[in-house]
This record gives sequence, C-alpha cells and structure tokens, in this order.
Amino acid sequence: MDDMIVCRCEEVSLKNLVDTAEKYNCSAREVKLRTRAGMGYCGGRTCRPAVDAVLENATGEKPRNDVPLKVQPPVRPMALSVLGGNDRDDE
Amino acid sequence: MTNNRIVDHPVLGRLADRKEITFTFDGTEYTGYEGDTVASALLAHGIRTLRVHEESKRPRSIYCNIGHCYECRVMVDDARGVRACLTPIKEGMVVSSGKGLPNPLDASIPPEELPRTYQEYEEQSKEGKGDTDA
Amino acid sequence: MILMHDVVIIGSGPAGLSAAIACRENDLDVVVLDEFPKAGGRLLGQLHQEPTGEWWNGVKETEKLLERANMLDTDIRLEVSVYHVEKVDDTFNIFTNKGTLEAKNILIATGAAESAAPIPGWTLPGVMSIGAAQVMTNVHRVKVGEKGIVVGVNVLSAAIAREMQLAGIDLHSMALPAANVITGDGSNPIKVMDGLARIAHLAPSKFIQFGSRFARASAFVRNTAVKFFPPGGVKMWGMPVHIRKAVTAIHGEEKVESVTICKVTTDGDPIPGTEEEVEVDFVCIAGGLYPLAELAAVMGVPFKYIEELGGHVPVHNEQMETDVEGLYVAGNITGIESAKVAGAQGTVAGYSIAKHALQDHSLEENITNAMEQVKTVRANASIQFHPKIDQGRARVAQAFEVNAINSDK
Repeated sequence: MDDMIVCRCEEVSLKNLVDTAEKYNCSAREVKLRTRAGMGYCGGRTCRPAVDAVLENATGEKPRNDVPLKVQPPVRPMALSVLGGNDRDDE
Repeated sequence: MTNNRIVDHPVLGRLADRKEITFTFDGTEYTGYEGDTVASALLAHGIRTLRVHEESKRPRSIYCNIGHCYECRVMVDDARGVRACLTPIKEGMVVSSGKGLPNPLDASIPPEELPRTYQEYEEQSKEGKGDTDA
Repeated sequence: MILMHDVVIIGSGPAGLSAAIACRENDLDVVVLDEFPKAGGRLLGQLHQEPTGEWWNGVKETEKLLERANMLDTDIRLEVSVYHVEKVDDTFNIFTNKGTLEAKNILIATGAAESAAPIPGWTLPGVMSIGAAQVMTNVHRVKVGEKGIVVGVNVLSAAIAREMQLAGIDLHSMALPAANVITGDGSNPIKVMDGLARIAHLAPSKFIQFGSRFARASAFVRNTAVKFFPPGGVKMWGMPVHIRKAVTAIHGEEKVESVTICKVTTDGDPIPGTEEEVEVDFVCIAGGLYPLAELAAVMGVPFKYIEELGGHVPVHNEQMETDVEGLYVAGNITGIESAKVAGAQGTVAGYSIAKHALQDHSLEENITNAMEQVKTVRANASIQFHPKIDQGRARVAQAFEVNAINSDK
C-alpha cells in the first residue's frame, strides 16, 4: 500500500509523500516542490485532491480558501512554438 | 480481430453507419469510424497501452478519457504529446505510442551511453532507448 | 486587425451552450471554445431513468441545445484548448493552441474533474476513471472491456454502472476503495451508507429501492444495516453492490488481469484472511467530482473551500458574476450539481453578460426569472451529488457580498 502511486505523471508514491513530510517537517507546498507531486504533465488535475488529502494528514494543514498549490499558466502543456507565436484571431 | 463496438443499445438505439477511416498505430493499420478518437478506435480493436511512462517505462492507457490527465499522450504525424482521447482519427494518420526516455539519473545505464549533446538525446529518444516495451 | 468579441465562453457543456444561446438571443458576438471534438461536455454521456420512468438521454439533450445554438448562428469552435487567460485594461486575452482571442467578457464553464481514489496498481492499462468509461460507452459506443469492477459506491458510479450494464458490459460488482488517507469517507461503509440514504429520495428508480429501505431509518438502524450487510451484497439491477468489501489491489503485468477484494469492518478496515482474487480486465475508479477552476484561479478570482459544493469554488454571486468585472462562471465550476442545474445557471450567466455588454437594464427581468429557474431545477433534481447544496450556495453568495463590501472600503 505504501508503494502505491499517488501522482501518476511523476510516479510519486504515498510513501514518498509521507516520508518527505516527516523528514523535512515542512509545509504541504514544500512537500510538493520536493517530490514533484502534482507538478507533472497534467498540472495536478488528476491527483491534486489526493495529494492535498495526504498532506493534510501528514502536515496537519487544513484546506484553505485559496487553491492549495497556486495554479500557474499554462494550464495545458503547450509547444513552445504555440507559446511563442503571436497568432491572433483576425480572420 | 477484436471488435468491441456497442452496436445495439436498448435506449440509445442502433449505431448509425459511419464512414470508415484507416490509420496506423506503431506501423500497423487499423480501421475506425468517423467520430472516433484515436483512443476509442484503438480500444475498439482491444488495444489499451498507448504509451509507457517516460522514466519507469511502465505501460499506460487512457485514464480520464476527456483530456484532463494526459495519460494517453501519443505521437500523431509529427506532433508529440498529443492526447489520444481528444484527437479524432483522420484518413492516413500516423500514430505512434509514447516512448520512454533515456534517464540520466538511472544508475544502471553506463555513463558512456548517456547522451552528451541534445542531438544524441533526441536520437536516443527516437530509438526509445531504455524502453523495455519497444 | 484583431476581432474583439463581446464574449468568449470556455466550455461547450450544458452551462456554456445555454449561456451562448441567451447571449445570441441578444445578438452578442459570441465564441464558444471546447477542447473535446464534440460539443456538449459531459452532458453527452449521461443516460438515466427519471423517477417518472422517462429516460434522460444526454446525447438527445445536447442535440436540442445545439439545434437552438445553431439556429442562432453561434460560433462554436471545437478541439481548441485554452491554456491561459489574462485581463489587460478592459480586454480579456484568451490564449489557445489555435491562436489568441480577445473579448470584453468571458464565461468560464469548464465543469468538473474527477478526484482520484488511488489503489495499488491503478496506473495499469485497463484502470480508468468512471467518467472515462461513461464517455467510451455512451459517446464513442466502445466497450471498455469484457468484465470489470467499479470501485467507489456513490450516485455517479451507480448511474454509470447502470449505463455500462445497458450497453451489455459485464460488471462483477461495485465495491469500496481500500481505506487510506486519500479515499477517506469513500472507504468507510457507514459514511457510504449515510450518503446513499440521504440521496435515496432523490435518486432514480432502482437506486431508490436500494437506499430507501434505510432512508427514513435512524442512524442506529443504518449502522445495524451496515453491520449486517449481506455478504453477497445488495443487488441493484442484478449486480451486487458491496459496502462491506473493498478492492485492495489491482494486478497485472501489461494490463489489468485481476483485483484483490477483501471484507472490511464497519469502519472500512480490511479483515485479514478474507482476501479473494477476482479476474477482471478493467477497473473503474469513482472518487467523486471536484470543480475544475484552473482558469479562474489563474485570473486571480477569490476562492472559497466549500465541501458541499465539492471543493474550491470561485466566489461568485447568484447572477454568476465574479469579483473580476466581465468574468462570469457557470455550471460545475461553481459546485457539483446535475447537468440540468448547470444549464439553468448558464442561462443566468448569459443574460447577465448580455445586460453588462449592452448596458440594457430591461434584461433584469430575464435574469431574475432565470435565477428562479435555477432554484426550481435544483429543488426537482433527481440526481444530487452532495447534501446541503443550498447551504453551500448561500456561503458562496455571502463570501461574494463580504468581498464586495471590503473592496468598496
């Protein structure tokens, strides 16, 4: 059960998360930064509530009103050619 | 050949006849129907595995099927990281499964085999080096 | 020359389409964006029998909305992914994989995403979210496998399990996910039974028969029912539903081959020695839904955590306005409810946007009527995901008022 993967994109296990929280005695945010949980290709869409539940349990932090790990654009992975392009909707 | 189509349905009715579309996946030709996504057309033929995890090389398939989880990333024609669950099949489309990547942190790979330039890295990625599934 | 649209609507589900219709009726320049190749959002896959016996068919409902939208010449662009939104002065820039759009107003109607209920082995091909199975079954009309199991017993998973049965897909049973810090209440038999009992009076057909035996019962009777839950499960449409058994692991080399099921105590703890292995080739995980609000978060809209609404929701008022002028929200992004409620909210948002864009106060009446309609639809909803929706909604409205007062100071 401990080896169960929580974050699929980065293959972060329940054990990784709990051990990191214990070892560094740190905030939920820091655990995410250290393990990369929720920071892979999908941007945490799949595991965000799960990672938050693990970290609430491990760090004692309750869900706050703001979204726990700040959402950053791009909210979908984009090719650099798309991000760099200045393709305006001018048809 | 596996055919997992739900042709008759007690409430939704009989599946309408649709135009056939031929595409390839990892070099093999498959037929789907207009309106199919890459993921649905392949699953209709019983194909689940669409990629392997880049690092662990473990097999992956669709998980959410609506574009949220990015687990079904494949290469479509020349574009990488395309979600099979959102991509309608087109005639002659060339789809290949998502491959593993060389892992510079994997101690089992001898240092002399690790890529030293970006070009080498790209070549190794194309070969799916270290990819046990390929 | 860049086109400035009156409104860009992100999401073509029931909320987005209903809003687009209301905006087009007022002749606004509207663009609807969606990354799925078909319009309709998750309305598309829905199929359940109403308490009246009538079928609610999402494909048909979508057709009705699209017919109306197309009659009004609505610009709907599919396969477009929005990856960022920003507001510069009074203009919203909407960044997509197919170029950037500009608009005076935006509506974020991105719906919900599924919460994971991880189980060891859940990354194997053949394991999917329950919503994935719904889309494959009812939208693409492809069987997700030969024999499967549904992990997670709730109103959504019960409805979709029934949909799979209708499509001729063989389900072994429904059972709970193994207890861990993530699966929480979803792995606790007493909590699951409470949830089923609470929705029983609202839920469709067979679900009523299943839950209503305990619906009016006291907590003591319900707990007793959990304690003596039949080992063979309770049959729903002939399929065993287990709340005293949990799936503890999924096995397979290249894909799913079997699962381990284990009896659990009334608290959800596995009972050693009761494990059995069941051969299946697919597993559907149902961990519930949460509002998908990334774009609102990126825009800096204030959020509030409301459990009754399924998680973090962007703070908004009953007119579907947010703190950011010109930014509106509607549908499941504002809280997990049925597609009918989402559609009704979309209509409110559409009229609110039209009023703002045209500065036409005569639309006030349309907005008020549409808001009433939301309440009526909510009260009559045959599927409710969370109890105490009304209290949750009231808390969001209150948060909006508090923010408004603070920003006036």
